[in-house]
Amino acid sequence: MIFNSLAFLVFIAVFLPLYFSLKGKARLLLCLAGSYFFYGWWNYYFLSLIVFSTLIDYFVGLRLENEQNQNTRKNLLLTSMVVNLGFLGVFKYFNFFIESFTEMLQGWGYEGSLTTLSIILPVGISFYTFQSMSYTIDVYYKKIKVERDFIRFATFISFFPQLVAGPIVRASDFLPQFQKDRHFEWDRLTAGLGQILWGFFKKVAVADSLAPFVDQCFAEPGGFSSLHLLIGIIFYSFQIYCDFSGYSDIAIGLARILGFDFPDNFKTPYFSKNYSEFWTRWHISLSSWLRDYLYIPLGGNRGGSFGSWFFIALFMLLAVVMTGWLWLGIACLALAAWSFWYKRQSDKHERTIFNYMNLMVTMLLGGLWHGAGWAFVFWGFLHGFYQIIQRLAGPIWNKMLDAIRVPNLLQNAIAILLVYSSTCLAWIYFRAANEPNDFLTANEYILKIVSLENFNFGSVINKFWVVKGFLLIGMLLLVEITNLRFTYYKIVQTNPIFRVISFAILLWLISFMGSFGSNSFIYFQF
Amino acid sequence: MKKLLWIPLLLLLTFVGDRIGGWVLKQVVEKSQFRYTRLYKGQAEAEVLLVGNSRGLIFYQPHIEAITEKNTFNICYNGMPIDVARRLIEDYFEHYTAPQQLLLDVTMCDRSNNPLMAGFNMYTPYSQNLEELILDSIPKSGYAGKLSHLYRYNSEVFQRTLAYMNKSDESWTNERVMNDFLVEEAKNLKPYHISYDTVYSGELRAIAQLCQAKGTQLHFLVNPYYPPFAQSINNLDSIKQVILAETQIPVKDYSTLLKDHQYFSDYQHTNTEGSKKYLDQLKLDGILD
Repeated sequence: MIFNSLAFLVFIAVFLPLYFSLKGKARLLLCLAGSYFFYGWWNYYFLSLIVFSTLIDYFVGLRLENEQNQNTRKNLLLTSMVVNLGFLGVFKYFNFFIESFTEMLQGWGYEGSLTTLSIILPVGISFYTFQSMSYTIDVYYKKIKVERDFIRFATFISFFPQLVAGPIVRASDFLPQFQKDRHFEWDRLTAGLGQILWGFFKKVAVADSLAPFVDQCFAEPGGFSSLHLLIGIIFYSFQIYCDFSGYSDIAIGLARILGFDFPDNFKTPYFSKNYSEFWTRWHISLSSWLRDYLYIPLGGNRGGSFGSWFFIALFMLLAVVMTGWLWLGIACLALAAWSFWYKRQSDKHERTIFNYMNLMVTMLLGGLWHGAGWAFVFWGFLHGFYQIIQRLAGPIWNKMLDAIRVPNLLQNAIAILLVYSSTCLAWIYFRAANEPNDFLTANEYILKIVSLENFNFGSVINKFWVVKGFLLIGMLLLVEITNLRFTYYKIVQTNPIFRVISFAILLWLISFMGSFGSNSFIYFQF
Repeated sequence: MKKLLWIPLLLLLTFVGDRIGGWVLKQVVEKSQFRYTRLYKGQAEAEVLLVGNSRGLIFYQPHIEAITEKNTFNICYNGMPIDVARRLIEDYFEHYTAPQQLLLDVTMCDRSNNPLMAGFNMYTPYSQNLEELILDSIPKSGYAGKLSHLYRYNSEVFQRTLAYMNKSDESWTNERVMNDFLVEEAKNLKPYHISYDTVYSGELRAIAQLCQAKGTQLHFLVNPYYPPFAQSINNLDSIKQVILAETQIPVKDYSTLLKDHQYFSDYQHTNTEGSKKYLDQLKLDGILD
């Protein structure tokens, strides 16, 4: 079931009155049943995966609480990881690994092909497995208490507002909220509704209106002018932002009405002045998950581990083998040799090298989390690369700007533009991952833009889409620049006139500018 | 109760605002020079009626008027499906003296296009035919348009209406010349299949009967394609035969008339020069007289 469907409207109209008319265990049971119904509407067979994952992590959690033996504890944690990552491996990555392996063998002259399976990717699997794993890991490290109530735990894993596309909410943030007995609150309803309407505006009006233009650009980049393609990638950057943050807003708003508080998942990411900041503003629940459960365990900015070396070596090897580029192999070897030499200079140098390695591993795996394709991995690589370059060249760049006395406002504008445009460059690979020839499409797209061929507005096709797209982006940016996005829910709660007028405006805009096809959310595929 | 007051207030404001907005947009539409507004405002009297999708837009009106000295009216639109075209033709015949000729590019019979049909919601206050079609084919959109008047104007058709506020669209033409990339790609075209459905024959038959009843000369045409693309279409001949059998009207095929890529903006659309050359040929063949 998707939020922008009639089925969901009916579902929520039945669910909400029931939810607030029940109390305690009965309400919790309704929540769980509703969540399973919500998921099962799409495919009830795959409910078994959620139930199995829930059972494993619930019992692993219970055993971890009483187990003192460190080896057994480790084995229990490993069981949870193997099951959760195993599901991901089979359902999301199996065919990808087989196809990559076949491609690699074919590169070496092998003629046959290995069998792939006809597997449907269960919606939201990457989200709920990460949420579930975070619980087990936190219990293992004794950061949180174990949840003994199965219904409560199962509801935490499958809570329908954020089940299929996040935000990934940590057990430490979510489970304690189940202990409060909650009543219907008008303030929560109004604030939640405000956030839901804003989310719908972003999804239905902005993201879905931009989608046809973007699809057209990526279907055949060679057939369009450079300006057309440039507009296409600008549109995609806002399409994916509005699609995903719109979903998050709806999810957070729904949870708010039901009495739960979820943290923000996006904070105006395209106004970031550097790449580290971007990742504290974009998909915050995933980036903080990766930071806490991957980057820091790898050593973070303090040092390295076997994992740092292993993953870097693995990705380098795969890159060389998959491309078959000898020069890349030599470059990787040279980089590894230089890293060895550099890290031996001092502890500080060693920390720096490990920091870069951990950063790159985190971004590469973050890319792979998004999708089973090398273009997603390359997208992650670009973001890792940007962050390393920023750390290397950032201080020099800032000094240079200071030396030539560039005003702060201009410095900020340049920084925002730089981060935004390089993020767009990475988005080209991310979006091209959906096309049959991902890298070819992305490279053709980029080359066509930089060629500046027919760089004039006359060469742009479907100008009506362009005008509407920029109008919607303008409205969005206006709200984001004025910071209204963050204060909106508070004003909505306290000022009924503002509430009525702003809700009405959003409803008019959705009605007048929304796209009402059955457009699913982009992040469902992840 | 005081806490609940905002809900009826919101509903009332949303409804009133929607109706006011809808009324304002209706006034805007009526001031436009866009073809469908002219059709419903009684400003589309013509001797030659031109029908098609984006490929029909190549019926370059100033050139036709120059070579025939007849008034023309073009009701083509990008991706126009035949069912919508039929209702527009019926509306035309209801509002005006029957035209002498109707030229219809039959390659428009390749799709149903519900999103575009929904775009014509904004003309339902003027057209019983369109309203019935929309309520019948896409009831959700039809009733949504009745519920929210703003929704009626949520379409590209409305945006085009805005674009032609102060100028007529009669002289629209496509100046672009096909780029080298497309010329090169044309060497490796895969077979192309026009998704013709027998339902479309019924629509064509209805148009033929209407023209016959009103004494309008009807021509079914295939407008030019870029030849390598035309050759890649694997069912054009069978479509022509089906149409002939269903309507008793032969389809005149100009799909390979123009050879040079300079006459095209892409595989399926001629540019201004190509259009002129094609229209001159229609004149020579007595179709435009």
